[in-house]
Amino acid sequence: MPIWLEAAIRSVSILIGLFVITRILGKKQLSKLSFFEYIVGITVGDIAGTMSTDLDINLQEGITSILIWSLFPVLISHISLRNKKFRDFVEGNSTVFIKNGKVLEENLKQEKYTIDELMEQLRKKDVFRVADVEFAVLEPNGDLNVLLKREKQPLAVGDVFPNPPSEKEPQTVVMDGKILDEPLATAGLSRGWLKAELDKQGVAIENVFLAQVDSYGQLTVDLYDDKIQAQQPQDKEFLLAAIKKVQADFELFALETQSEEAKQMYEKNAKKLNDLLGRVAPLLKN
Amino acid sequence: MTVASQVKQSLASLKSIHATFQQFALSSADEQAQRTFHEAMMLTEEIIVDVKQRISQLEREEPQYHGK
Repeated sequence: MPIWLEAAIRSVSILIGLFVITRILGKKQLSKLSFFEYIVGITVGDIAGTMSTDLDINLQEGITSILIWSLFPVLISHISLRNKKFRDFVEGNSTVFIKNGKVLEENLKQEKYTIDELMEQLRKKDVFRVADVEFAVLEPNGDLNVLLKREKQPLAVGDVFPNPPSEKEPQTVVMDGKILDEPLATAGLSRGWLKAELDKQGVAIENVFLAQVDSYGQLTVDLYDDKIQAQQPQDKEFLLAAIKKVQADFELFALETQSEEAKQMYEKNAKKLNDLLGRVAPLLKN
Repeated sequence: MTVASQVKQSLASLKSIHATFQQFALSSADEQAQRTFHEAMMLTEEIIVDVKQRISQLEREEPQYHGK
C-alpha cells in the first residue's frame, strides 16, 4: 500500500470517528466550555492530527488514547448529572459578589477579583453605578450575572398592561418563494388562506422572498423586488381607530339627541366601548 | 347629513368592528387573546342591537329618511 493511501485512509476514518465523538459529547460542551473541556478538546485534536500524518504511530495506541481522552468528559458529565456533590466539585460553585446592594469583599478576595475587574464586568452589563445593583453573582464559567434593583430594572410590558396577552412565535410560511406547508399547518392556516392574503396585499407568490404569520394571523412579507412597497397589515390600527371613532360618535349623539331614553342608550354604549377599548388595546398595539 | 344617516354610519362602522373582531378571534393563536376578541365581538353585537333599535325609532319619527 502506498504511503499516501494509508495516510488518506487514516485521515478519513479519524475524521469520521471525531465527528461521532463530538456528537456524543453534545451541545452542552460547546456552550459551557470549561478550562478542562477546552484542554480535552485541544488534546484530542492534537492526537488525531498526529495519528493521521505520522504513520509510525500504531493505530491501536492512538485510538485507545483518543477514546480515553474523549470519553472521560462524557463519564464525568454522566456522574455529575446524578450527584450534586460531585457536580459542585467538578464544575465549581457560583460566588456571590454583591448581596442586598452591598459588595462582599471577602468573596472578591476569595476569587482573586479586584474591584476594578468587578466594575469592568458590571460595565459589560451596562451597569455603571454599583449602587444600582441588588445582587451579582460570579458563575462557575466566569460570567458575572447581575440583578438590578427594582427601581432600576427596565420597564416591561407587564408593568404597563397588567395582563398582557401572550404572544406565540411567528411562523415562516414562505421562504425563497416556496410555500412551507408545515409551519402553515402549525399556524392553523392553509394555502388557500395564504393566497387570499397575498391577493389582499396585491403581491404574487413568485415575488415573495419571505413571509411570516404572527400569532394574530397577520401576514408580513418581504419581496424580491425591493422597488415595490409591500403593504404591511394595518387591520389592528384600523380597528382601534374605528372603535375610537364610534365611541366619539356616541358621545356626540348623546349630547345632540332630545330623547332622554336615546341619550341614556348612547351614554351607556359609549361607556361600554370605552371599557372595550381598554381591554383590547394591549392586544392591538404592535 | 341627517341624524338618521349619521347613526347608520356608526352602525356600519360597528358592523365592520364586529367582523374584524370575529376574524381576529378565529385567527389568533393564543387562547387568552381568542377569548378577549370573542368577548369583544359579543359586546359589539349588543351595541349593534341597541343602535338598530334607535335607527328604527328614528325612522318612525322621521319617515322621510326611511331606508336611506
